[in-house]
Amino acid sequence: MSFTDQDEALISAALDGSARAWERLVKRYETRVYNFSLRLTGNQTDALDLMQEVFLGVYRNLHRFRGDAQFSTWLFRIAHNKAVDMSRRKYMVTSLSSVAGQEQSDDDVLDHIANDNGAHDPQRVLSTTQSNAEIIGCLDILNWEQRLVVELKVFQSHTFDEIAEMQDISANTAKTRFYTALKLLKAHMEQSHELS
Amino acid sequence: MSCHESSKLVPDYFDEALSLQQRKAMEAHLQDCADCQEALAEAKSINGQLRQWRDEPVPQWQRVPKQLQGSGGSARPRFSFWGQWAPLAGAFVMAVAVLFNVQIQVQDNGFSIAFGGAAGIDAGVIAAQLEEFENEQRAAQQQTLQVLSAQLEERQAGNNARLLETVIEQFGDSTTRSLEQVMAYFESQRQQDLQLLQTSYQRLADSDVQTIRSMQQLANYVQYQGN
Ligand SMILES: [Zn+2]
Repeated sequence: MSFTDQDEALISAALDGSARAWERLVKRYETRVYNFSLRLTGNQTDALDLMQEVFLGVYRNLHRFRGDAQFSTWLFRIAHNKAVDMSRRKYMVTSLSSVAGQEQSDDDVLDHIANDNGAHDPQRVLSTTQSNAEIIGCLDILNWEQRLVVELKVFQSHTFDEIAEMQDISANTAKTRFYTALKLLKAHMEQSHELS
Repeated sequence: MSCHESSKLVPDYFDEALSLQQRKAMEAHLQDCADCQEALAEAKSINGQLRQWRDEPVPQWQRVPKQLQGSGGSARPRFSFWGQWAPLAGAFVMAVAVLFNVQIQVQDNGFSIAFGGAAGIDAGVIAAQLEEFENEQRAAQQQTLQVLSAQLEERQAGNNARLLETVIEQFGDSTTRSLEQVMAYFESQRQQDLQLLQTSYQRLADSDVQTIRSMQQLANYVQYQGN
């Protein structure tokens, strides 16, 4: 039985009311969804919230899953939408530091880094591996849209066309955001190295 | 880093959808442009550093959403009590059947009981008596047996549900509670069942004095088991 077939068997059992099948299905994807959430929110509490919303959304829409796409693809569409919802609700309000919804010029980038804060809040730093904490620290300097593009491109390996479609933007805008994000990250990493 | 192509070339490099032609053009430009070479090297390095991410383990969380569990029936549209616990229920009932070595089979034309391994009881004799009784009484008691069967079936279903509810209470969230408590509950249910069987048999026996002797023996057996 292939991984996909197993997914479909679990989905159909879950739809028939098996909570165990549902739980097994969740366990197959929770690590990916949790780490996706962690990179996007930067802290465990919000990551858990987001993950829970994602799976609740998957559960509520499970009967709509048609099997013409891979379940993982379908699931991460929901994950993306929930992440966007969450960012609208709280992320951008409390936000990190940058101005959402605008592409930044090089000058903005420098200001942005000079004003860098929040990334070193102990609450935000993860315990288990140093490199994950560093990565979170880096991602924290990005605004929400840049962060999402980096997530979708670097970690979820989507094409720019797919990202464009998901975000309802042009592929060129997606590329620009990605490029800007990489420049911001590079500047941040250089600064971190100088400081340490 | 001043080549204006960089902002297009770098993301293009990460674009799997780029055509072969576009990729060749990109490589041709890279050959001659130090700015873009540098910009691309940096981007690759950042990409590589980000990909150092190692998956964090998922903390404990409630995989089956809260509104799908709990006691309220309406709040859990799909995950019914039975859907959630049927597999465990099956396993548990099997275990109990093995433990107590008691089988009650409800059939279309009545019911049969098989006892096995009970101390001091000749299971074969009882089974033979029951078989004899059934053969003798099948025609005369058909109606009564059907009613009784239905009652037993209903009773069993109700008991199983209650038993399972207890199992769930005991094991639902914690594995630290003792199996003994569940077994004690089951034992009390079993006593009730035996009582019911006893009165049922008694009623059946009362309705037909001709078989009073064999019925009395069955009732005695039930009594014995109930003690
Ligand atoms: Zn160039």
